[in-house]
Amino acid sequence: MNSTHSETQGLAIEVRDLRKSYGEVEAVRGVSFEVARGEVFCLLGPNGAGKTTTVEILEGYRLRTGGDARVLGRDPAAGERELRERVGIVLQQCGVQRDLTVAELVEMYGRYHVQSRPVDEVIDLVELTEKRDVRANDLSGGQRRRLDLALALVGDPDLIFLDEPTTGFDPAARRQAWSTIRSLCDLGKTVFLTTHFMDEAQYLADRVAVMRGGDIIAIGRPDEIGGRDLRPAEIRFELPPNWSLGDVPDVPAVGRSLDGDRVTLLTTEPVLAAQQITSWALDHDVELDHFSIAQPTLEDIYLELTGFGNQHHTSDETEVVR
Amino acid sequence: MSALLTPALRRDFGLVGRQVLYEQRAYWRNRGRGIFTFVFPLIFLVVFASLNQGHVISSRGGIPYDDFFVPGILAYGLIATTYVNMAIGTAILRDEGVLKRMQGTPLPRWAHVAARIGSTIIIVGAITAVTLGLGVAAYGIHIRAATLPGLIVTLLLGTAAFTTLGIGVTRFIPNAEAAPVIINLTVLPLTFISSIWFTPEGMPKTLVDIAKVFPIQPLADGLQHVFDPRTVGSGLNGADIKTLAIWTAVGVLMMLRFLRRPLGEAA
Repeated sequence: MNSTHSETQGLAIEVRDLRKSYGEVEAVRGVSFEVARGEVFCLLGPNGAGKTTTVEILEGYRLRTGGDARVLGRDPAAGERELRERVGIVLQQCGVQRDLTVAELVEMYGRYHVQSRPVDEVIDLVELTEKRDVRANDLSGGQRRRLDLALALVGDPDLIFLDEPTTGFDPAARRQAWSTIRSLCDLGKTVFLTTHFMDEAQYLADRVAVMRGGDIIAIGRPDEIGGRDLRPAEIRFELPPNWSLGDVPDVPAVGRSLDGDRVTLLTTEPVLAAQQITSWALDHDVELDHFSIAQPTLEDIYLELTGFGNQHHTSDETEVVR
Repeated sequence: MSALLTPALRRDFGLVGRQVLYEQRAYWRNRGRGIFTFVFPLIFLVVFASLNQGHVISSRGGIPYDDFFVPGILAYGLIATTYVNMAIGTAILRDEGVLKRMQGTPLPRWAHVAARIGSTIIIVGAITAVTLGLGVAAYGIHIRAATLPGLIVTLLLGTAAFTTLGIGVTRFIPNAEAAPVIINLTVLPLTFISSIWFTPEGMPKTLVDIAKVFPIQPLADGLQHVFDPRTVGSGLNGADIKTLAIWTAVGVLMMLRFLRRPLGEAA
């Protein structure tokens, strides 16, 4: 049991045809994926897609009804203490002993582990140094979340589950949390993340998987998922006064549209197209207001994959017309 | 014995010990909870004792009222610090997700429960000391060496029964907000027929028989037996001890049922 198949393969998590049903309802319908050691893996999906069920099966909180799961080479359903020694968990919503201080809690949870990190080091890492003697009850929401992270890290885990770790953070605090999570990767930790924030997945994840209706519908690197790298780029600019779309040079584009005086070109050769348009503008001495080139974002791909994409675009356009 | 105490188990007992200290620190720091659990029974003690100053209980051979009432209040205080505290506390820990968080750590579940029980035993010790101290100092009760076995055994069994019942009953509490209401509903009505505020003599026999089935009456009666000046011998009341022992067994079974359920599946 010490060196299992998946551990020798360098896998932190191995999931095969994982299923979970609650009575008639199938929340997870045969999901398979692998997470390599040292990888940041991110599970995305709308509410009710089966993310939390999947994560909680891997954390050992729920029992699967079919398929197989291995976490650090062990069956999470067995509830082995050795596994809990090596796994840190930040649950989505999770209370803590309110009357104890930050330092007391970090120390207390650290003691549960055979090996733990120094209390003050962990408190510094999550930037709660100034709050170390404040009771958990008196922390703000964001500080509480950082305490959650500290309690998950104090046992020096090899694998960390983060279920929506930055919900409720302001943008600066989120950036801070990201750099903390990044620093975990530098230490060789494996991170299993779920989030609602696409920029978070984009910034942190080595690979993302998108769940919908209990299935994984796409999996890959954030910049490649759903064929993102192969999608046409979008060039936007405003037509100069007294010019029409027909005057713009015929650049290689797979789609072009005009909305008022706003031009949108879809192109698979953004560099060439941009060069042609900008030189045309310079030649004719006209300004191209709001000129931009954009690849589809992870959010665009995500919304499309999860079936909210079209709706979203329609509402965008009606707004423009108005 | 030392063969059974493997290094791993020794470490776990150490963890329980430390956890007891954390539980204690958290308990006394929460003034609302710590103080009120103590103040409530003591206010009852002072008020009822003042109302009945100088009274004797003729149905009990004219013993002073205080000899009946101080142990009765001790029973009430014990129930408040064990059953009531444990049930409400466990419901809160469960609903806030603390139990779930603890379950994800290497601390064995039994060790956490053992620490909470250990901490409760300390609190019972404190409320016993305060109640009996006040009883001796202000209300003329006597702690006799002869009846100490009865006092200790009754307190231990009462603590065991009401602590385990308090954890076990959490299964029937749908949410933490409902906990105080449900728990008081299971305690308060019974206290009126369980020889805590009034003697059972002169009560309808049916009520007395009902009270005897539940654990409150045997706890109060067992403690009152210990402090009854007429008691000779060890102070152990066989019938009360037997009922408390049965309820301890029920409590342990209920507690184990509550603890066996995977917390994630409860959601």
